[in-house]
Amino acid sequence: MKLDDLGQGALAVIAGITGGRGVLARMASLGLYAGKKIRVVQTAPFKGPILVEDVATGARTMIGRKIAAHVEIRNEEPR
Amino acid sequence: MSRSATKSPGDELVIALAGQPNCGKSTLFNAVAGFKVNTGNFSGTTVAYTETRVFFEGRTVKLIDLPGTYSISAHDLAEKVARDYLLSGSVDVIINVLDSSTLARSLELTIQLMEMDVPMVIALNMFDEAQKKGIAIDAAKLASLTGVEACPLVAVQGSGVHELFRAAFKVSREAYRYRKPVYDKDVEECIARIASRYPQSLGELARVNERFVIIRLLEMDPEFEALAQEADPAFLQFVRENRRFLAEVHAWPETGVFASHRHAMVMDLFEDVAVVKSRAKLSFGEAVDSFIINPAGGLIAFAALIFLMFSTSFWLGDLLSGLLEGPLDLVGRQLPGLLSGNVLILAAGLWDGVTAGLGIVLPFLVPLLTLMSLLEDTGLLPRIAFMMDGLLHRFGLHGKSVVPLILGYGCNVPAIMAARNLEYERDRIITLLVVPFISCSARTVIIMALAGKYLGAGYATLIYLGNIAVALAMSFLLSRFNVETSPGIIMDVPPLRRPYAGIVLRKVWAMTYEFLAFAWPVIAISSIVLAVMAHAGVDAYVNAALSPVTAFVLDLPENLGITLFLGIFRKELTLIMLESALGTANVASVLSPVQLLVLVVFTVLYIPCIATISTLWKEGGWKVAAASVALNTTVALVVAGTIAHVL
Repeated sequence: MKLDDLGQGALAVIAGITGGRGVLARMASLGLYAGKKIRVVQTAPFKGPILVEDVATGARTMIGRKIAAHVEIRNEEPR
Repeated sequence: MSRSATKSPGDELVIALAGQPNCGKSTLFNAVAGFKVNTGNFSGTTVAYTETRVFFEGRTVKLIDLPGTYSISAHDLAEKVARDYLLSGSVDVIINVLDSSTLARSLELTIQLMEMDVPMVIALNMFDEAQKKGIAIDAAKLASLTGVEACPLVAVQGSGVHELFRAAFKVSREAYRYRKPVYDKDVEECIARIASRYPQSLGELARVNERFVIIRLLEMDPEFEALAQEADPAFLQFVRENRRFLAEVHAWPETGVFASHRHAMVMDLFEDVAVVKSRAKLSFGEAVDSFIINPAGGLIAFAALIFLMFSTSFWLGDLLSGLLEGPLDLVGRQLPGLLSGNVLILAAGLWDGVTAGLGIVLPFLVPLLTLMSLLEDTGLLPRIAFMMDGLLHRFGLHGKSVVPLILGYGCNVPAIMAARNLEYERDRIITLLVVPFISCSARTVIIMALAGKYLGAGYATLIYLGNIAVALAMSFLLSRFNVETSPGIIMDVPPLRRPYAGIVLRKVWAMTYEFLAFAWPVIAISSIVLAVMAHAGVDAYVNAALSPVTAFVLDLPENLGITLFLGIFRKELTLIMLESALGTANVASVLSPVQLLVLVVFTVLYIPCIATISTLWKEGGWKVAAASVALNTTVALVVAGTIAHVL
């Protein structure tokens, strides 16, 4: 499953990110890489970005829909 | 690890502020720069950093505010500038500014900075905000675990600043002993293996400590890979093998393996030094945030914001300029009685310029600048970017461009500089070319003062909306020329923050001062020059030279040529000089409504002002600057010319 398939409020773990080195590096520098537990806070209108929250740190990042389609996730049941 | 070079208290100390974006570095910088000796803007060809010399706590300090970076991997210009500066060997102490409310993420940069082995102090900024969020940080424990002094700080209130600098001075005097961040066994063995083969030639080329270089290489840093290739290709091959080995062991992609290790280390550190208590209640900021981040709530907030922006600059500005106009006029009318001949011509010109700056520009400029500062300080800009990204994609832009575009309504110059944050060249160039179409405060003043006054608020609004349509159309067209697509937005959304009156006022004052000190004299001098030229009849030559444009294309009186020409220097000049060029205060008695419309539309769209052009040159090179001038002029001629001949 990909990040852009997730709905609002969903919890998930990043399984892997495919894409160019620039994208990977940018995601990594914002603390988003394999193993990270995230929550989808909101999806923007007009097929806009997805706002994700790093569950551990509370830091929020918006990720464009196209990039989100390259983020493989594992579903995580909300506790 | 230690450094042998320590400075005696008499020497100037070079302190660099490094931290992630939105950590409050600049607030700290400004808090200290209040004690300034001198301040200057040092900008390279691409990304600028600010430096100031201050006398603080009994020492002369050269303080450098580096661009905010999430890491030091040098993936964009800002990161590269920050890293190059820190590694240049000229920095005595790094103050690593952290946003305590996002401590876990902030520490990732801290670890990387520690690895540079430059004396360092940690500033736990926004300490109060972290406490409010239920994050209790043990600064002493952080210091003992890292070996780096950690000082709680609330930069917006100036509390903790003195303690922080005293700690920095102490580190500069004494041997700096940080605890080397230790990774897990696999990584450390890997580093040791590589270190045993570390070529001396690479040490000479990189001139940075060995462990740092090895870690950079394991992180696939292109710059250090190039150095390693130059020094010893076999060594680089060996590093790559080790990197692949690490990735395989952990079943992680090669690009992320090191970041994951560092992250694990950071999370351990975070858990050791911070206790997070969960709170049932949302803070006020979080409640507001959860409202505006919703599509419906966001739209309401956005509409309210736009309304506030225009009503403030329109009504408040109108009110203020109305209040000023009377007294200024009264003085102006006394001039002919007091002076005569050439002196009168000069004095009248000067008075026109001075009052124009005071009575026309300031009342509109100050409210708009205040709003812009508020937008920046509260963190609303990234939220607008979030909401608009999808829409802007249809016009070939993306959400990150929102920041420069909105700032452009204040002034195009900082807006163009803000485009640095766009990491893809394509997006950056398009944004650079679109920003000059955004009606800055100077042009907004023209819309308000001409269209608003003589044609009505409806026309003023229409021109404004039309301007937005032109800007969007331009970005759409430009994106067609540039078929490569950008991967899209990845952007940090910092928590909403309460703006601090003192800081907003300081910012507004800095920008207003810039106007008073640089633009105002230009307006006054131009006004004198125009008065003299008009007296000597020189303006007729300029008018004649420009008449194909003014008279033929735009269907305007020929004597407006000089005012349009002057507008290139400062857009306000067109408005200010208009009355003297037409020889009447009642512009509507000379120009027809259509001519007024054409004049306003043309002024809003044509050649960006000199300051904008030079900033474009600096940020994007002469080709971008030239393209911008050509594009704006063409569009202005076509749009205004069409209005002139069709209506």
